[in-house]
Amino acid sequence: MIALTRLIAKRLATASLVLIGVSMLIFAIARVIPGDPARIALGPNATDEQLAKLRAELRLDDSLPAQYAHFVSELLQGDLGISLYTNRPVTTDIAQFLPATLELVLVAGTMMVLIGLPLGMLSARYEGKWVDNLIRIVSLLGVSAPSFVWAVILMLLFAFYLPFFPIAGRISEQYAIDPVTGFLLIDTLLAGKPWAWLDAAWHIALPAFALALSGIGQAARLTRANMVETYNTPYIEMARSYGFSESRIARRYAFKPSLIPSLTIIGLDFAAMLGNAFLVEAVFAWPGLSRYGVAVILRKDLNAILGTVLVISATFLIINIIVDLLIAWLNPRIRHAEQKP
Amino acid sequence: MQRHKKLVLGGVAAAVMAVTHAVSAGGVLRLDEVAVGELDPGKASDYADSILMFNVYDTLVLPEQGGPGLVPHLAKSWEADGNSYTFTLRDDVQFQSGNPLTADDVVFSLERMQNLGQGLSYLFAGVESAEAVDGSTVRFNLSTPYAPFVASLLRLPIVDKALVMANLGEGEGEMGDWGQAFLSQNAAGTGAYTVSSHNPQEETVMAKHDGYFLDIADAAPDTVRLRYGLEPATVRTLIAQGEHDISSQWLPPEVLKALAGDGAQLLTEGGTGAFYVKMNTTKPPLDDANCRLALSHAFDYDAAVKMIAVTDDISQGSAASGAVPVGMLGANSADNILKQDMDAAKAALEQCQYNPADHELELSWIAEVPIEERFALLMQANFTALGFNASIKKLPWALFAEQVSKPENTPHISQLFVNAVTGDPDTLLYGMYHSGSAGTWQSPEYLNDGEVDSLLDQGRTAADPAARASAYSALNERLMAIAPTIYGYDRQSVFAASTRVKAPALSDPAQAFGLDGMGFSFRLMEVAE
Repeated sequence: MIALTRLIAKRLATASLVLIGVSMLIFAIARVIPGDPARIALGPNATDEQLAKLRAELRLDDSLPAQYAHFVSELLQGDLGISLYTNRPVTTDIAQFLPATLELVLVAGTMMVLIGLPLGMLSARYEGKWVDNLIRIVSLLGVSAPSFVWAVILMLLFAFYLPFFPIAGRISEQYAIDPVTGFLLIDTLLAGKPWAWLDAAWHIALPAFALALSGIGQAARLTRANMVETYNTPYIEMARSYGFSESRIARRYAFKPSLIPSLTIIGLDFAAMLGNAFLVEAVFAWPGLSRYGVAVILRKDLNAILGTVLVISATFLIINIIVDLLIAWLNPRIRHAEQKP
Repeated sequence: MQRHKKLVLGGVAAAVMAVTHAVSAGGVLRLDEVAVGELDPGKASDYADSILMFNVYDTLVLPEQGGPGLVPHLAKSWEADGNSYTFTLRDDVQFQSGNPLTADDVVFSLERMQNLGQGLSYLFAGVESAEAVDGSTVRFNLSTPYAPFVASLLRLPIVDKALVMANLGEGEGEMGDWGQAFLSQNAAGTGAYTVSSHNPQEETVMAKHDGYFLDIADAAPDTVRLRYGLEPATVRTLIAQGEHDISSQWLPPEVLKALAGDGAQLLTEGGTGAFYVKMNTTKPPLDDANCRLALSHAFDYDAAVKMIAVTDDISQGSAASGAVPVGMLGANSADNILKQDMDAAKAALEQCQYNPADHELELSWIAEVPIEERFALLMQANFTALGFNASIKKLPWALFAEQVSKPENTPHISQLFVNAVTGDPDTLLYGMYHSGSAGTWQSPEYLNDGEVDSLLDQGRTAADPAARASAYSALNERLMAIAPTIYGYDRQSVFAASTRVKAPALSDPAQAFGLDGMGFSFRLMEVAE
């Protein structure tokens, strides 16, 4: 327990340093790239007076260190400023758009784990058989095409030619759900509307699957490779000689040690989905933070860029910490290493 | 077991079909625009903002449908006396909140816009004061003569003062944030549609305002869903599945054509702007008017219009007849369209002091507008035929806007779409060609011509409409003679729409408003159940 606490404290300290570094880097980069944020925000017809006023409000005429100091002092009060893209507080935008992306990524991540790992196990269990070959081909396809290509293909197949799934949005027009958590799969249940839950699940299925496909392929291939290696170890032979069933050997002796390297990659894939979600969100008109992030970068909306990058970085770091903890829990060597002075 | 499986599959299929069936809408109009929808009328500037503004708010005047001129709307009448304009308001108008419309609301709306200093507030920079003469009379006092003032009022949406004052947010001074936080999420207008919900990145849902002061047809949509930022592939799929009614104008011609092929109708709105190829008049060889004229004659106008054609009958633009788009005050007749004339180009080039082979023309195009790359390639071919060397340069909008602030950094050739935001030629031409306006995104020509300045000032200050028309005709002629710009084509917005929609202001020229976005007045549309 002490070891885990120490591990968490260490990871949190590192994460804080990373966040500070990211904030400084993004703060500088966003201001160095060409284009006047005031001009972009106010549009082509803005007068010089209007531009000067907005520039003063944004403190763009101050030195970079002075601007950063102001940003930090506002951030410590929970204020990320106003977005020039939506004309609303950045915190309001993030609170509204982040749950949509997190919900999409969480469902996609769950699909990745629930489909990818069993496929990998199955493939390793039947190594060299047709099942293995089929899974390897399918997983290779999943890995080799980016999410947005799958998004368009899936939309064409299952929303256009075979209209089984909706094309756009998070929920059908007739359902009005008051946001509580922002996660529609939770809010619909809290509202006691099971049909709305079904509708929200129906809406998220296709975009989440498109986002998950490459991760599913990755997880399956990695799990297969690790398990095939584990199957060749003496203790598996020993288990076989005891007469344990193949399914028991797979579940209890081969899968667990093979999971550790897969978990690291799954964690990274999970976090990478936050970035990959942009194009999937664009194709399925999913009102999430990734789409917002790209829009604010294109408009050089300084406050919103910083806010979005910090939130995505924080989410990335949190996922990594969770993965580290899971690995430590699965692998006693790491857990015990933390106890050493 | 097998029976259970069948039951489960049957249940899932039934549920999916039930939900799918429930999606088909009745009395709902669904359309899309680029993100982001700005709900605050004081900040409205682009097309999506205009659609929201014209439906949620009203203005004192409206454009005459099917022709030039303005008609009263929230105002019953108006009169001008020198630099003062007095408007008498209708007495039967209520805001969506139930508050009656008064002259105080008009004064407040103007002051709010001037104080925010955003959107199109620059149109009212010359308004010295506004005063409520009595409850239903309001007077605007201008600091200098400004003939297009009444047309500018098309961009002054009237907000509910009492409602905004009750919802002021934090800010400097007595007026706090002038209700910005409130109006970015809520409506405070008299318009035919109220706002049910607003997510600036996803959609704005509007509902019919039952207490609207004008009649709204029963067939007008009860609910409007204005979606933001849909991808062309998504829009095409949605329309094909009957889940979307009107596309945005930003679809590539190929997608519009495909939709028309699928049976969609094409709606249009035009008459307020044009595609201009702007030449930097400070850089050799374009500081010589003869060289500019040579390029103007060499440009293949016909090919440009074909490049934006959607069908044989409908295009995203029509051939230009001069600097002023056809239909606007001072425009040439549509019969006198510009055509490529290589002989005239060569003749003009002979008069030019420069040898074209000695200069390389930098042809820029805005990265966010892919069609401009095709025009750049067209120009490269046209100008090379005259002996010029031409290189093509892609510029992101942000970088372009920064570069044009200095003549030496401004490319030889810039391509721009410019609109008259009020439909009056002053808002189109003054910003482009007056020497005092040089160095903005609209004026990369850096034109400095005394005669042009004088004619622009006449058009801006002459009280008599005939005198204004005469000034703009003379200006058009002068701009053709000195050619600071190649007048590419008159722009027309094209939208693909489901056949369940009737939009007279976007399909019948006799009912068109001649103002960007106003064709989307939902109260004038009809949707079939």
